[in-house]
Amino acid sequence: MAMHRGRGIAAIEYPTGMNQNGDPSQAWIKLKMDGRVDVFAGTVDIGQGSKTVHSQIVADTLGVPMDWVTMDTSNTDSSAFCMGTFASRGTFIGGNAVRLAAEKVRSRILEIGGELLEIDPGDLEIIDGEVIAKGSPDKKIGVGDIAGAATFVKGELISGQGTALKDYATLDPETGAVTIPPHSAISYAACAVEVEVDEETGDVRVIKMSQVYDVGCAINPTMVEGQIEGGAMQGLGLGLLENCYPYYPSNDHRGGQFGSYLAPSMEDLPELECIILENPSADGPFGAKAIGEMANNAQPPAIASAIYDAVGVWVTELPITPEKVLRALEAKAAGIPESVTTGKVVRYDEALSITSHQSADAAVTFAV
Amino acid sequence: MSLNITVNGTSRTVNAEPLTPLLHVLREELDVLSPKAGCQNGGCGTCTVLVDGEPRRSCLIPISAVEGAEIRTVEGLAPPGQLSTLQEAWIHHYAAQCGFCTSGFLMAATAYLENGGSDDHAEIATALGGHVCRCTGYVKILDAISAAARGDSFDLTTTAAGLRTTIKGVDQ
Ligand code: FES
Ligand code: FES
Repeated sequence: MAMHRGRGIAAIEYPTGMNQNGDPSQAWIKLKMDGRVDVFAGTVDIGQGSKTVHSQIVADTLGVPMDWVTMDTSNTDSSAFCMGTFASRGTFIGGNAVRLAAEKVRSRILEIGGELLEIDPGDLEIIDGEVIAKGSPDKKIGVGDIAGAATFVKGELISGQGTALKDYATLDPETGAVTIPPHSAISYAACAVEVEVDEETGDVRVIKMSQVYDVGCAINPTMVEGQIEGGAMQGLGLGLLENCYPYYPSNDHRGGQFGSYLAPSMEDLPELECIILENPSADGPFGAKAIGEMANNAQPPAIASAIYDAVGVWVTELPITPEKVLRALEAKAAGIPESVTTGKVVRYDEALSITSHQSADAAVTFAV
Repeated sequence: MSLNITVNGTSRTVNAEPLTPLLHVLREELDVLSPKAGCQNGGCGTCTVLVDGEPRRSCLIPISAVEGAEIRTVEGLAPPGQLSTLQEAWIHHYAAQCGFCTSGFLMAATAYLENGGSDDHAEIATALGGHVCRCTGYVKILDAISAAARGDSFDLTTTAAGLRTTIKGVDQ
């Protein structure tokens, strides 16, 4: 019995955020008289943490402590509209909606604060829930007092809406030229794995997995890590264990139980290393891109190439089960040429490239 | 049939067919909702409760087999309004995403810790390897359990922003 170690790497480019446009997310924010902030948005938190991340964006945009912000996502019918939590668009699009709404509330706070303090709003800043005159920190008033004055003196509810919407991407019907470019943030990621392959049984164990993700700005680094780690294990499952074919997405032929549909468990967890890069996007909130769906793409090809490095065979169909490894090893020993599956052919076309339309000067401005 | 079980220290009388799974009795008759119905055939661990201190998959246990037993669920991990050290560790280490696996993990990890389990990740993985989590990749779950095993203490007020109190690059 011989165990063989090998290493492999794969890199991906991933357009995060819904990228054909025409898919709005909205948010509505109101300021209460104790300075607390209510945010209503339809972005559904399915565990990825958008509630926390949106609250951080609102708190930082307004200049109030994060625990003053309550985000209500309990009812997508009565809340502001959101196209949905999909396509890694929660932070990128939904985050922009709450940012735009918070910016409106912020400027109204500064305007009314300016009236009360008799100082030009441009000379004011909001720090930790207080509107403070730049350069003379003793001239200040609490955000809650401003909301109180607005309510009882001006008869006004300080609130703001934000809508992140970009028009649907279109081509000129005559020339085929891009008139409205698609919209997304291009993220980059790479995954390197080390595997151990048992030549006798065909069993593959991932020993170590190192991953680098460019997320633009990690608004909540721990949650980004959580997405990367979770995606890593899903990718490991896709690479080695999980099989929903042949008629995916129909589940007719899929294992109906965990005994026949193998999801990775704690014991499959390799040594995991996550590196987060922050290469800001032109138009995400605070330069954020996304993490979400790209987190489980690079692992399967990295594992396949590590297996090649270990035992010299390419397995070109996922999941790479012990049986497939053994068959590939047998074929190699018998001198049978490897089966090669060619993927889809991708042509790079400068004119259609998203990146060539997303240079800094073409930064997207949202309808406000 | 009518029988008695003790749930989180309170004696309860239930009327159920003898083969009704404990999971259904807890959720549907007794309104104890922390155990989750995942696969309902023993494969995922989300329904795990402690039966006389041992982690058991409540989807597979007929109610008649636990007559007189002492059942513990997440509701009983700490007095109302309080959290056990393990639960605090869970929050502090972001060990839950969707949370569906969390109840089962918490109960199995509670038994592991009560039996003197160490903070060693391999030992934890052996004890809890039968629990499936689709979201976290297990890393933060392991972090939380080993933190609780070490008896770490947590300041949950600093947890929420994920180690970053203000977003870098904010132009105020
Ligand atoms: S629901 Fe009991 S093990 Fe899955
Ligand atoms: S947190 Fe979602 S399954 Fe574990």
